[in-house]
Amino acid sequence: MKSRIGYSVLGLLVAVVWIFPVYWMASTAFKPGPDMYAATPQLVPLHPTLANFRTVLDDDSFWTAARNTLLATVLTVAVTMIVAFGSAVAVARFQFAGRRSFLLSILIMKMVPSIALVIPIFLTLGKLGLVDGVGGLVVAYLAFALPFAVWALRGFVIGVPRDLEEAAMIDGCTQIQAFRRVTLPLIVPGLVATSIFTMILAWNEYLITYFLISSPNKYTLPLWLTHFIGTEGTSFGPLMAGATIIATPVAIFFMFIQRNLARGLTAGAVRG
Amino acid sequence: MSTLDERLVGPLPVRDRPDTHDRKRRPRLPYLLIAPAILVSVAVLGYPLVRVIILSFQKWGLAQIFSNASPPFVGLENYSRILSDGVFWTVLVRTLVLTAVMVVASMVVGVLVALLMERVAAWVRGAMTFSLIMAWAVPSFVSTQIFAWMTEQNFGVLNYILGLGQHNWYADSRQGLTVATLIVVWGAVPFITVTTYAALTQVPQELVEAARLDGAGGRQVFFAITLPSIRPVLLIVTALSIIWDFSVFNQIWILRNGVPAPDYQTLAIYAYTQAYSSHEYGYASAVAVVTVLLLLAVMVVYIRQLVRSGETE
Repeated sequence: MKSRIGYSVLGLLVAVVWIFPVYWMASTAFKPGPDMYAATPQLVPLHPTLANFRTVLDDDSFWTAARNTLLATVLTVAVTMIVAFGSAVAVARFQFAGRRSFLLSILIMKMVPSIALVIPIFLTLGKLGLVDGVGGLVVAYLAFALPFAVWALRGFVIGVPRDLEEAAMIDGCTQIQAFRRVTLPLIVPGLVATSIFTMILAWNEYLITYFLISSPNKYTLPLWLTHFIGTEGTSFGPLMAGATIIATPVAIFFMFIQRNLARGLTAGAVRG
Repeated sequence: MSTLDERLVGPLPVRDRPDTHDRKRRPRLPYLLIAPAILVSVAVLGYPLVRVIILSFQKWGLAQIFSNASPPFVGLENYSRILSDGVFWTVLVRTLVLTAVMVVASMVVGVLVALLMERVAAWVRGAMTFSLIMAWAVPSFVSTQIFAWMTEQNFGVLNYILGLGQHNWYADSRQGLTVATLIVVWGAVPFITVTTYAALTQVPQELVEAARLDGAGGRQVFFAITLPSIRPVLLIVTALSIIWDFSVFNQIWILRNGVPAPDYQTLAIYAYTQAYSSHEYGYASAVAVVTVLLLLAVMVVYIRQLVRSGETE
């Protein structure tokens, strides 16, 4: 059992290394300026303060960015889920000509790197006058959210055994009734999880947003956070407080769907 | 509930069965159901993809943005410019090396941590899972800012821990890209570890015990039984890692405050700056198309593996 103790010590070390940056973000956020820039870094904030958080929350541009992010995220999730649901059911429950090609194209689309999409999307939205606004962002976000959501939802629909539906049909339900009364309630957790995944994807989007948005009053939170770098050097206290505020809802939602993560894994779901 | 493990390692518990009954009665229903998704993806994905290819054969600069005249086709000019562009080749080599280092490092660390998780006490495994999931939840634009702060020249905690005084991590791009690699590996390991660990718990224990009874050592068991069982998962995770790391953007872009010096540029960043700052949309599209073409082989491996696991049945 000696080796087991050795492994456990090593395991704890891994846990510490992976949590440390998160801890360092949060602990910096609570440090007053002089402590943050102390010659010997303080592992624990010795004079904890909320000043950095106040700086962020008193900043109008933060709230503007929060509103834009929320709006873009909610719209993206809503449109994505409405559009994705039908096709997820179709590919999971029906056999039809072209089904396999549809699935394969979803997979291929899921793999396209954003860099290949951002230039044409920018030029097209520019012609339509949709660049530099939340509307354009939602259109752009659909490009990665939709294939992901179709794939993830499809997994959840398949996860509900068809036998249950068939049993209901033997008991006299029509197929639509059987789907609505038996399968649908069982997919609700999947719908929630997929919505949250999509939400996190939209909330975290950076590459496309940076290209499309130029006016500060149209910034999303990721853009707002990266524009903390002033000409006089970065003020890391408020930066880390802002980072903590932005990452916390993501972390909470992430914990919430953690059990479902496994399903999204191979779908190439959330990775930072 | 089918879990990841069943979905990847074993056959799916429920497969779609051809249902000729439905087919006869409601042949149009599935098409109606997929129609919205097809319409939207043609608009937001299909059209841009076709357009980026067309753009790569056009001269598209600032002049074209401000005029209504359609941009001139220039044939293969953008592509021949790539071939003769020394910067492109430097960037390509850098991207390949960086991708290799990032993928190998994250896979090796990720799999080792997963194996470690099997061997530690239960409460330690709990602590590891919590820590990894927390790290996983941090968006890359946030984690990059954290690492930028930790590697700050004068007050960064990393210099303090390593006793490096006031070391500047970004004067030499090799060191700066090492920091970017650390951010990528730190962010990728939770995904790789959790996936691999889930696969490890599905390795048939009867086989392991039978092998042990036959006198196989730990190493033999690992290579003869464990590794082959988790191979499909490892393949998929590796393919995804290559695709992600090859088009790495945020970690370098944000680390360099949105103005990555030439020796920090990867293919994605090179294409991005060509379009974003130089307004060379045609040329940038050609670079983006080449990036996708280079990834195509990996995508094929990934998709074939999913098809083999019965994912597209």
